[in-house]
Amino acid sequence: MAQIEQSSGGGKKKKGAQKKMSIHVDFTPMVDMNMLLITFFMLCTTMIKSQTLTISLPSNEKVEQNQMNKAKESEAITLILTTDRNANGDVKKDENGRPMNTVYYYEGMPDVTDANGDGLFDNNKLKAEQFIGNDGKIQQGIRKILHDRNKQVLEKIEKEKERWRNKEFAPGNKDANDSIYQARAKEIRNDSTLTRPVVIIKAAPEASWESLISALDEMQINQISRYQIDNINQVDSAMILDYLKKNPKK
Amino acid sequence: MGKVKIKRKSTLIDMTAMSDVTVLLLTFFMLTSTFLQKEPVTVLTPSSVSEQKVPTANLASVLVSPEGKVFISIAGDADAATKDTWGTEALRKTILDEAVTLYNKQHPSTPVQLTAADREAFSKINMFGVPFQVLHQFLSMSQTEQDKFIADMNQKGVGIPINDNKDMEKLNEFQIWMRAIYNSGNENLQKAMKKGEGIAVKADKDTPYTTVHDVLDNLQTLKLNRFSIMTALKSEQE
Repeated sequence: MAQIEQSSGGGKKKKGAQKKMSIHVDFTPMVDMNMLLITFFMLCTTMIKSQTLTISLPSNEKVEQNQMNKAKESEAITLILTTDRNANGDVKKDENGRPMNTVYYYEGMPDVTDANGDGLFDNNKLKAEQFIGNDGKIQQGIRKILHDRNKQVLEKIEKEKERWRNKEFAPGNKDANDSIYQARAKEIRNDSTLTRPVVIIKAAPEASWESLISALDEMQINQISRYQIDNINQVDSAMILDYLKKNPKK
Repeated sequence: MGKVKIKRKSTLIDMTAMSDVTVLLLTFFMLTSTFLQKEPVTVLTPSSVSEQKVPTANLASVLVSPEGKVFISIAGDADAATKDTWGTEALRKTILDEAVTLYNKQHPSTPVQLTAADREAFSKINMFGVPFQVLHQFLSMSQTEQDKFIADMNQKGVGIPINDNKDMEKLNEFQIWMRAIYNSGNENLQKAMKKGEGIAVKADKDTPYTTVHDVLDNLQTLKLNRFSIMTALKSEQE
């Protein structure tokens, strides 16, 4: 205390010198208010914008039988989307009570001959699969099957992709690089000299919307350019029933 | 012996820096935010690897509830120059007039009459979904009543009827709306619809396929064969 007094006694203040006022504004309420506003905006915004998937469906007009485009048998692969059922025929549900989906597929034409008359088809090509995506770099489930069928296209696109990654198409111009790659990929997808599958997606009425989107998604992932959405018919249902008879579920 | 004096420290913390940070955050949120649009049902869209963005302007989105009720939302042109004719509110009025005219032409015995106040109210609603016969009653309600009305999925007067018939001569109500949207005079919207970007179908991932298929079928009948499906982004390692 004394020290202070000494120092203050030594230097007399000049008259008329402006007093230095330290200005302290308490910002705490301001921060409070800002936090409230931030909370409000955080709760009201949609940060993730939804994406869209563009599809084209054929027109509903009737097409004459002889004008229809027929897929080659060797190229055709049919996916049947439906709900999973247990032995009693009830829809299986997961722990959240949502119906579980499954996908069956067969290649080529359906074969429903029953020569020995035992009520079972002799040569049911139907197989069950699942949408399980990738395990690391290895394709699984239905993706593996589609991937193998479209191997030629995918290998070619993979090469182009490597060039795209190294920006070889248009060095220094990202947009041009992207668009050239897209154009080339499209060309390869539609290249009729390669063996490409034609996928027919058949969704049962009770199949979930999600499984149809997953199926369309697989087309995009596996670069399949020819696919169509169709309705399930009697032959398909008969084949599923037959499959379930031969492979009873626990 | 001098007593040890405990210095009294001031507990004031300088909040200026904190305030700076919060204001920055606030600015970020204000600039990036797009407000959630009010929808009668919340749907969880399935995820896909597609990376196309949903357009914010010139879009007719069709919402399909898990019960199969259909709602439509219309967004017009975002350009300020065309606001009076192609802007969202003006566009909704045009579409309403167009749709009602079409409906009255097809149902001469039970025509729908709307007042100017109804048209004004319609232009403010983001998402609508009532049959034409209920339209006047719905539009004369207050906003809270409308929300309550439209959120009740079991009610008969909710959702645009879609399964009356699939005949091009006699359109059902959903088809009337889509036709009216297509013919609204907004060329940008029409262009977007031709390209497939102007129509977005939104449905919950657990909705049975047949429910959504009804809507897709109706669009096919109208020869609107290209459209987009709303999905959420799924990351997929390649």
